[in-house]
Amino acid sequence: MSILYDEGQQAIATESRRVLDARMDKARLLALLEQVGQHDAAFWDTAVEQGWTALAIPEEHGGLGLGLIELGLVAQACGAATSGAPFLTGGYGLSQALVHSSDAALAAEWLPKLASGELTGCVAFAEGNAALPPKPTVTYANGALDGVKPAVPGGCAADVALVWALSDSGVVLVAADLAGASRKPVDSYDNSRLYADLTFAGTPATLIASGDAARALALDVLGRMAVVTAHEQVGGAEALLYIARDYALTRKAFGQPIGAFQSIKHRIAEMYGFVEVARANCIHAAASADNLGGTDAFLTAAADARISATEAYDTNSRDCVQIHGGIGVTWELGLHLHMRRARSLAVECGNLVFWEDLLVDRLAGEVA
Amino acid sequence: MSDLQVYREKARAFLASMAPKYGRDARKGNTVEQDLALGREYMAARYDAGFGGINWPVEMGGQGLTHLHKITFDGEEMQFGMPSHFFGISLGMPVPILMHYCEDKEFVKERVRKALRGEEIWCQMFSEPSGGSDLAALRTKVEPDGNGWKMNGQKIWTSWAQYCDYGVIVTRSDPTVEKHKGLTYFWIDMRSKGVEVRPIKLAGGDSHVNEVFFDDVRVEDSQRLGAVGGGFGVSLHTLMIERYIATDSSGFGPHLDEFVKLAKRVDLNGKPALEDGRVRSAIARNHAMRGGLDAITKRAFAMMMAGMQPGPEGSLQKLVAVRSRQKLSEMAMDLMGNEGLAFDPHAFVKTDWGTSWLNAPTGRIAGGSDEVLLNTIAEKILGLPQDHRPDKGVPFNAIPA
Repeated sequence: MSILYDEGQQAIATESRRVLDARMDKARLLALLEQVGQHDAAFWDTAVEQGWTALAIPEEHGGLGLGLIELGLVAQACGAATSGAPFLTGGYGLSQALVHSSDAALAAEWLPKLASGELTGCVAFAEGNAALPPKPTVTYANGALDGVKPAVPGGCAADVALVWALSDSGVVLVAADLAGASRKPVDSYDNSRLYADLTFAGTPATLIASGDAARALALDVLGRMAVVTAHEQVGGAEALLYIARDYALTRKAFGQPIGAFQSIKHRIAEMYGFVEVARANCIHAAASADNLGGTDAFLTAAADARISATEAYDTNSRDCVQIHGGIGVTWELGLHLHMRRARSLAVECGNLVFWEDLLVDRLAGEVA
Repeated sequence: MSDLQVYREKARAFLASMAPKYGRDARKGNTVEQDLALGREYMAARYDAGFGGINWPVEMGGQGLTHLHKITFDGEEMQFGMPSHFFGISLGMPVPILMHYCEDKEFVKERVRKALRGEEIWCQMFSEPSGGSDLAALRTKVEPDGNGWKMNGQKIWTSWAQYCDYGVIVTRSDPTVEKHKGLTYFWIDMRSKGVEVRPIKLAGGDSHVNEVFFDDVRVEDSQRLGAVGGGFGVSLHTLMIERYIATDSSGFGPHLDEFVKLAKRVDLNGKPALEDGRVRSAIARNHAMRGGLDAITKRAFAMMMAGMQPGPEGSLQKLVAVRSRQKLSEMAMDLMGNEGLAFDPHAFVKTDWGTSWLNAPTGRIAGGSDEVLLNTIAEKILGLPQDHRPDKGVPFNAIPA
């Protein structure tokens, strides 16, 4: 299925971009790179005030009852602005697990608070390069978690976490209040992502799903987060495309704008190709989520979106810097904000290898 | 079911009824001449069944339906591998241009009917040895000759010219003005005295393109399409007619499923090739890329159904798809190893990796080379400057050779 954005969706896209253009400040984002455990409060306040936290949460839980298409458009605007907090994606992942949880009380308690921005969420699945380890080292027994989840996005500040763990009876998906965990901030190349090692030591956590159901739900959550992230990557890749284009129109060398040299203009045309292929995949995947969420068809669409968006953002950040020459590598110009974000988003919620394997397993009909 | 879905079902039923005689499998091992004869029969049957000139006006002999109906039919027909390729250019560009510019409507009607039924074929003569991408650099000249014109020169890469009855051609009528201002467009009878067609054998072994030579060919002024000196505009119009044609994210080569099947079948280092990381990565990247192109196509379709103009991203299709087909074909040949060294020049490009590979360069050059497409995206979509053009503003006959 593939859709055309309706008027409401177009308005969300325009408005989110307008608000972020007006309020984002490059100097502030550059300063955040050198501070561990700090995020851009002005951005997060905007997200809450604009209702972005409530977008994809059902109306009966205080949300706006919209879906992945709308959240994707907001994420695209955030990606263009290299926005300074990771909670939209993490909060969405957690809320999706709660929506599908059989624990109605937990959903009723947390979803309205996630919608209003009173609580922030994060998702702690990955260990090392495994986005969803078959045997996580973090364990769950007697209603409590033990072990360490390394470098969790949003981990420095999130209130609650969705955790992938191992119990006696197999893998589980649980939700934990992070008041009961200790956090060790990671000094990273993209510090406003708020990476922290989360250490659980008898931390109380509520079971959401176990065994095959946990695996299926975790994959669906990861697929949905991958689609949000892919939109964010497309936003970044598209911003870089136009930054490169504008520079190539104004910068002159050998008596003409550098954009008149085919080595430059063809590179920029290729950047356009990467963006449009990834954007089309994003729209298709987001539009598939309502009908196909949880199915292999959705995961396949999510993988296409994720793979093409990662290629687009990585390529465009490489090439945009290259087109700028020396000025492109300066701290002040700030293209490295995109370079850093391209890589942090590429690693968060499943690297390329993970999504390639997931996709090929499904294409080959080899899913257990 | 929507109107278009009904139409698709109807088209599929018709094509299925034709397939036993005209489909890809039925024609296996045929010579080009045998295929052409079958193609003419098929076109007549297609016309009689009401699938000829789908989006052309009823008064000109068409069906009066929309462009969407046409690309729906074309997409279905492509799956069956019908022998309609001889007529694709004829009906795609020259005949519509004739309908638009030729004033003798009775003559046009007869040509349209015969072209739709496969009785006559038209070619399009634009490229020359001196320029393909740089169309306006053409040198074939016409000079006034009594009440008509006399034509001398040479065209090249003319598809199916050896089987054509008529053709459209753009020529230089005035070398003393800027190159794109001195052109004039005509239709000609390919059997006129002084027209000589010589097939060119291509790398893949087939000879569907030709050189066409003109030696004092007489052309009537009534054969002129558009104004004297207006040939460049008519040429651009010709190229714009079929902007939204049926696309193929496989780059008109094998479907990715064929590659997955191959990777399952052959072993690499004692394991199925499908378990090799390099192979997996190639499959995944290609799937993501082709999925994106398919999604672009579906969105363009949805936009046309909503009465909107599709976005410019459709211009990526051929560029991205054919390039990737070329590389994937190379990898498939690597996986087959020496089993893949056997080559059948008549194999079908959508199922045979060797044929797909050997003919891929043609796809990357014909109908706008990769480089021209990149220039078009850069200039028309992104607003980047044109290349340095030393011949700009210079009369054609003053441009250094």
